Formats: sequence, C-alpha cells, structure tokens
Amino acid sequence: MQKVVFRVKRYIPERGPKSYYEEFEVPFRRGMTVLDGLIYIKENLENTLSIRYSCRMAICGSCGMRINGIEMLACNTQVAELGVPIITVEPMRNFPLLKDLVVNMDEMFIKQRRLKTWLVRRDTEEQDNPTSQYLQSDEELVRYLQFSYCIQCGLCYSACPVVATFPKFYGPQPLMKSYRYIADSRDEGGRERLGLVDTSEGVWRCHFAGSCSKVCPKGVDPALAIQLLRRRVLTS
Amino acid sequence: MRERNIMLLHYATGLGILVFGAVHVFVVFFTYPLQGTIWETTLKFDNIPFAILPVYRNAILAASLWGLLLCTTIHSMNGLRVIFLELLGERAAMRVVSRVLYLVGAIIMIYGTRTIIVANMIT
Amino acid sequence: MGLFLVHNERTRASVIQSLKVMLYPAKYGLERWSYVLQRISGVVVSLYFIAHVVETGNFVGGPTVWGPVSYEAAKRSYEAAEALLKNPVFDIGLGIIGFLVAFHTFNGIRLILAHFGVTLGKPSRPEPPYLPASFSNKQRAIFWLSIAAGVFAILYTIDSLMGVFR
Repeated sequence: MQKVVFRVKRYIPERGPKSYYEEFEVPFRRGMTVLDGLIYIKENLENTLSIRYSCRMAICGSCGMRINGIEMLACNTQVAELGVPIITVEPMRNFPLLKDLVVNMDEMFIKQRRLKTWLVRRDTEEQDNPTSQYLQSDEELVRYLQFSYCIQCGLCYSACPVVATFPKFYGPQPLMKSYRYIADSRDEGGRERLGLVDTSEGVWRCHFAGSCSKVCPKGVDPALAIQLLRRRVLTS
Repeated sequence: MRERNIMLLHYATGLGILVFGAVHVFVVFFTYPLQGTIWETTLKFDNIPFAILPVYRNAILAASLWGLLLCTTIHSMNGLRVIFLELLGERAAMRVVSRVLYLVGAIIMIYGTRTIIVANMIT
Repeated sequence: MGLFLVHNERTRASVIQSLKVMLYPAKYGLERWSYVLQRISGVVVSLYFIAHVVETGNFVGGPTVWGPVSYEAAKRSYEAAEALLKNPVFDIGLGIIGFLVAFHTFNGIRLILAHFGVTLGKPSRPEPPYLPASFSNKQRAIFWLSIAAGVFAILYTIDSLMGVFR
C-alpha cells in the first residue's frame, strides 16, 4: 500500500447547507493513524479542513469521528488496521454540526450536568474543610473505577440509536456518569439522581442496543452502567 | 402513569404472554396426531379434543385465551407507543398517536372478548 | 453562557433520518441486531395480532354478531373463513410469524434479565483489549437460543400446516 484515499465529509456553513464528500490521496507510512492522515491533508492539500484534536494518544477525547461508518477516535485508529484503501471519514452523529468534522458537544455536557455528575455530600461544611480522608476499600473502588475512565469523547452518544431518534434521551454517557457517582461509596446524592433518571427521558429509553459499549475506546461499558442503574432504580 | 410503572407493566404482560401464549400454542400446535396436518385436525371446527369449538367451550382454556388477549393488547400497544415516542418525540402528533393506540386497544379488547363469549355460547 | 448552551440542544430529529438509524443494524455488533430485530418482530407480530383477532371474529360470523349463534351458522362461517385462509401463502406467512414470535419471546426474556442486571458481567478494572462486561457469553447465548427457537418455530409451523417434512 503506497497511498491511501481519504474520503472526507465536508460541511462549510458559508457555502450553503449541503455536505459533500471530498477525496484526498495521502502517502501511506507504517504506523500512520487516521489523525496523521487528516493532519497531512490539512498541512499539504486542503488547509480549510477543520478537525479537532489535541493529545494524539486517546487521552483527551477530542478527535471522535465516524471512520468507515463506525465511531472511533482518529488518533487511536491505525490506517493499516482498517485494511482498506479508501477511508471514509465523517463527523459524529447526534450532535449539531459546526464545520467539516467538528461538532458541538454542548448537549451532552448539559445533560451530564443536569444529572448532578459530581460528588454530593450532605455535610458541605465538612466537604469544604475536610478533617479526614474519605477512605475506600478495594471492592468499593472497583464498583465505579471502570466508569470513571470516561474521557467524554462523545462516541457512545453518537453511536446510540435511541439518541438519534429521540434527542431528549439523556444518552449513554450522562447516564453512565450518573451511575459512576451513585456507585461511589463516598457519594450521598444517590436518591436525588435516581429520581432524575427514573423518567421517560432517563433509563427507560435504553433498550440495550449495546452500541455505546461497542464503540467506547476506553472500555467504560456504558451499557452495563445503564442496566445497573436501572436495577438501582427498580430496587430503590 | 409514570414511565417506570408502564415499563414494569410491559415486563409483566410479556411474562403473561409467555404463560398464556404457551397454553395457546401448545393446544393448537402440539396436540394434533402426527398423521395429518393441523388443517385436518386441531383447526377443524369440532370433534377433536383440541379443535376450535371444544377449546372455546372449555372454561379454563377460554379464560387463558382471554388472559392472552389482555396481555397481548397491553404489551403490543405499549410497544408501539414506545416506538412512536422514540420516532416522534415531543411532537403534537405523538398525543394523537397515543390516543389512537388507546382506542385501538379498547376496540381489540371489546371485539376479542365478544368472540370468546359468542364462541363459548354456540348451541 | 447558559442561554447559549440551551439553544444548542436538539429537541427533535427528522423522522426519516430516525427510521434509517433505527432500522440499520450493521457494524455495531450483536446487541444492535437484537435491538433492530426486536423492534421489527414486535411491530409485525402486533399487526398479526390485530389481524388474528379480526379473523377469529369472522369465525363466528363477523362484527355484526353480538349474541348467541346456532351451531350450523357458526360452522358455516367458520368454514367460509377457513377456505379463505387455507393456502400456501398464509401457511408460509404463519411460519414467518412463528419465527418472529419465538425470537421476540426468548429475546424478550434476555432483555428483561439484562434490564435487571442479571446475566451481565460485573464492573472490573478496565484492561486492554477492553472487552465490555455487558457483552457476556450468558447474555449472547440467550440471543442465539432465541434465533434457534425461531428457526425451530418456522420449520415446525410450516411442517404442521403443510406436512412437508413427513
């Protein structure tokens, strides 16, 4: 493989509401990631291409996009592992499109905030001026550790078929994050959060399509978190 | 009704269908002599232990058939409501769809109950 | 800032676009297939159920009959309805309904169990290659069981209606 063709979905709001595909030939080198290819295009072929990236090592969660029809982090995907000569790159679904491959992810963060995804303590005085540490055993840690690995890249939110059809649904990431704090032994806001997710827009819209867990690049498994959250809702 | 209770009802009626539907399917498909097809045996009007008329005349089987009717109506109408809700969201059309589904469910219940009672009273 | 953010939240999606996403299962693995098949089978079986109630209503004489009927009248209308339905098209159609019913039943049990957190794995320390605990073998086995039950149902139904495998 000498060259790879990048078929990039372009959307430029100044040039009208229609998106179109543009093809670029990029020289292939060993170990090249999709993000490397996009940066090559931006530097050498088409400098109006908009992409969002930062760390290039699957830590920051900025470069989420749909590569060959499935959500992936561009920095975490090698061109060689895709094994096809033509790579289709599209922006994430379920978010308002800003330009080219950049989407507005506010929606997900608003929903996350609405579900109180932070540590809630009844004694706020004590929380501001702590007198001791909040100790946790190893088992208590494992109960939520996996879910705290989330990098908020939005891939699960983009893959979820229910968010695509019913935008008011909270979505996998906010619900998972909510469960992460409910499962935390230091947290005391569980009851309040369960009331928030026990609604028509909350856990009951999840039908376990599993797409969120399929695309998650950090092994967070939002589908599992939502099922466990539903179990909490049912047993509370 | 709150979404939680609706979905619990959805699970419960699903399990109800499992029980009553098993009786229904067993009676029609698993009790015929293997020489003929069911068109010639259980789907005949009369004469065979589990043909149409004897089934409706048996009080227990007729009652389980009514249970199946009730569970399936609730389960299928709610299933369609969920699909329409996820397609239409908060649109005004959703309220119309929701009312139409209530109406269709009521009509199915009345008509199906009538069929069971009338078939039970054949003289 | 708050107002600006709320403005960007979508409240509705295009119905055509939604249907495309809802009905396209490829690339997202087995659970997505289960989601799509569960929806399609549910809708088709619901329509069959309505048709079945109407058709069994015809067996006792149609929507005009609301009181006791005589044995002869009932038998006559039953046989008229039977003559309409007794052909290979409806037989094979009922076979497909059999597949969908059996699949929907067993997959429904799987979904109820999964919704209550049963049959799924437990949260653990995430380590590459990051296999999700919710894609557990137990849960997937029930999916394949439901496919097998569906295949058995289609064969059994067509056989008992048409006697082709004897």
